[in-house]
Amino acid sequence: MSVAAALRQLQASLGAAAVAADPLTRGLYARDASIIEGSCALVALPATAEEVRACVTIAARQGLSVVPRGSGTGLAGGATPLGDALVVVTTRMTRILAIRPEDRCAWVEPGVLNQDLADAVRPLGLTFAPDPSSQQASTIGGNVATNAGGPHCLRHGVTSGHVLALDLVCSDGATVRLGGLGPLAAGYDLRGVVVGSEGTLGIVTAICVRLTPLAPVVRTCLLAFPDPLAAARCVAACIAQGLVAAAMECLDRASVRAVEQYVHAGYPEDAGAVLLVELEGLADGVEAELRELRTIADAHGAVSMRVAGDEEERARLWKGRKHALGAMARYAPHYYLHDCVVPRTRLPELLAAVYEIAARHRLLAVNMFHAGDGNLHPLFVFDRAEEGVLERVLAASREILERCVAAGGVVSGEHGIGLEKRDFLPLLFSAADLGQQACVRQAFDPDRRMNPHKVLPSGARCGDFAMAQGGGDLAATVSMLPEGTWV
Amino acid sequence: MDLTGLPLTTPADPNAVAVCLRAASAAGERVLVVGGATQLDRADPAPIDRLLSTRALNRVVAYEPAEMIAVVEAGCTIRDLRLLLAPHGQEWPVDAPDEATVGGVIATGAAVPRQLGVGPVRDSVLEVDCITGDGRALHTGGRTVKNVSGYGLPRLLVGSLGTLAVIVQAAVKLRPAPRARRTVTAAGGLLVAEGWLRSVPLATAILVHDNMAELRLEGWPDDVRAQTARARASAPDAAVSDQLAFPALTPWTRHPIVAEVSVAPSQLGRVLAAAGPDAGGLIGIGAGWIGFDDLQALRRVRQQVEALGGVLPVTHGPGGLGGRPPAPAIHRRIKAAFDPAGILAPGRFWAGM
Repeated sequence: MSVAAALRQLQASLGAAAVAADPLTRGLYARDASIIEGSCALVALPATAEEVRACVTIAARQGLSVVPRGSGTGLAGGATPLGDALVVVTTRMTRILAIRPEDRCAWVEPGVLNQDLADAVRPLGLTFAPDPSSQQASTIGGNVATNAGGPHCLRHGVTSGHVLALDLVCSDGATVRLGGLGPLAAGYDLRGVVVGSEGTLGIVTAICVRLTPLAPVVRTCLLAFPDPLAAARCVAACIAQGLVAAAMECLDRASVRAVEQYVHAGYPEDAGAVLLVELEGLADGVEAELRELRTIADAHGAVSMRVAGDEEERARLWKGRKHALGAMARYAPHYYLHDCVVPRTRLPELLAAVYEIAARHRLLAVNMFHAGDGNLHPLFVFDRAEEGVLERVLAASREILERCVAAGGVVSGEHGIGLEKRDFLPLLFSAADLGQQACVRQAFDPDRRMNPHKVLPSGARCGDFAMAQGGGDLAATVSMLPEGTWV
Repeated sequence: MDLTGLPLTTPADPNAVAVCLRAASAAGERVLVVGGATQLDRADPAPIDRLLSTRALNRVVAYEPAEMIAVVEAGCTIRDLRLLLAPHGQEWPVDAPDEATVGGVIATGAAVPRQLGVGPVRDSVLEVDCITGDGRALHTGGRTVKNVSGYGLPRLLVGSLGTLAVIVQAAVKLRPAPRARRTVTAAGGLLVAEGWLRSVPLATAILVHDNMAELRLEGWPDDVRAQTARARASAPDAAVSDQLAFPALTPWTRHPIVAEVSVAPSQLGRVLAAAGPDAGGLIGIGAGWIGFDDLQALRRVRQQVEALGGVLPVTHGPGGLGGRPPAPAIHRRIKAAFDPAGILAPGRFWAGM
């Protein structure tokens, strides 16, 4: 392995300005928005797919691992490099390559910001449905890597459902186009595996996103509840009665107060919790759903329900939700934001557990979350300078994840596994299940060069399980398959 | 494809599936997993030694209507699932025939007639339990509507045509059944259909065949009435029925060969024009069905579809899948990781894998 040689070759391919090896730049790219600190040897900022291929090829030749990265807004450490990695940053690849309203899709480069894409297609009456709270800063490539969600995924589903095709630069430098513009494609759904794979299967250099027509009628409502459990019960009742809104967001008292003082969204500061519910569709149906919502909310103790009167008020209500994370600085300098999903009928119970666990560990828990999906985002605010606090935060976090899994939930709904949660995957999967996931990963990246150490726990190895009966390693098995059936 | 006379195993539980597959792997016996047997022609032709039926795996594992998720064994039929869900006002919107099975629908991953409104099969499959070719039980995905915990292996199994593993159980995402359903039909073909895509907001499906267009509307009764009025503005003679199934007419089924087309939505019109009168296409989706009388006609249209970047696999009759998957080396390694002895329907997958 030679970092010096890799640096020279990268400079020759990308130009000196697009490659950095100085301590300051390396420090900047040594972490993402998680609390994990990493390290890297080199940082490259390719501007084209061809330059991405050069980065991957040079890394392979020089034995460096490759960590793909967008804006670095990820919260699970998926873009945190370790050791002597080459960080490949896609933020210069910001071209919208083609917008094709006739196919309701657009081809974009991975560095295009989520919000920029939504703004570009809005005049055509279309939108890119995934809308993570980071959408002003996060890239489409990053959204693909984490299979990002957002409030409106309740109605429209997560990123996976909005990626029709993509170009993937594999770890050997080859580029493959996966998926297609029609509903069927030849072969296995490799597109579907790449979405959510956190940069461990290759680097995506172009994405064909599905565009969704904007709903003709949208109504945004703000409901206030005496406490978050009442709000959670209301959400569960809505789902149970078949009222699937476009979005159902919950903010508890502590979030409401911080948000109000930060962005003045118009939330009632005395509320124990607020629910932000957006209904969309056609005029009569939306009115009928508003009536249903009011009935269910009344039955679950809502103290008020307000429907945004105009677009300006609607935007302000949403601004409160989207900026809630930033508002947390009011409480303490650091935060640890969690992401777990539970069956929606168990939401009130798990929310109660979050508060109980936090209290026991002497931590302030703030909750703002995608209630309609059962996607909890417990957030601990703390000051890292306080001795022992990080240990308490991590212990409480572990307890919350265990409770979620025990209730039939999963350990991440939209942030991903990254480094943060890979050792929690055994809560969900057996060693054999994880071994199989490792095999799929290895099918894309036989040399384990792409974003190593991420997603799967270190014990998960392809071969230990999959090939136990076969007696050979994967490569040997592959070589036994008839080559001619393929080419 | 004629599979009569082959030895048949009908395991009563997932463990018996594993026993059968381990034995087959050891003996090199080629196994085809069969559910409702409605899609057996959707494959390249290749010899099979044994059939494994999932029909005895038909339990409902968990169904809590308030979660809008159903967990059932793979052999549960679409009819049985529908009867389970209907009293609770819910549906799994895959539009498969009654005798098809949940496992079969997932393994097939066919185009969904109502996809414009309800999305593809792959977006509604949350969790899959399966047995690999060498008899290992695997759990993939999870029972929540959102989940990025590990790789999206359930998506890999959707459309895998029984070549990676035998699906034994799945959790699927449901949706509230619409309160009103309506089919609007009009003469005028593609011109009318494409006009509806622009002028009728939130249409559930638009199908064009020959010189006819069918519009499927689902939702609140008042909305459906308003959508009908919009549709009639451009097609004053349109007929309306609240009873018709969708699609109401399927002229392509009159032919010995039926294939399912998939292209970019904007290319669908060109394909249909070349395919002749007994073809139907889903506007805005880029999928459709074409009836052929002989392999020569199939090959001619398939060549054209593939030149447009699409695929045209046969669903009934001879002709196989056609098409070439990208990244053959990755495909080979994935196949080997799930089915190291290569006994699960070898040769029947795309490009004869």
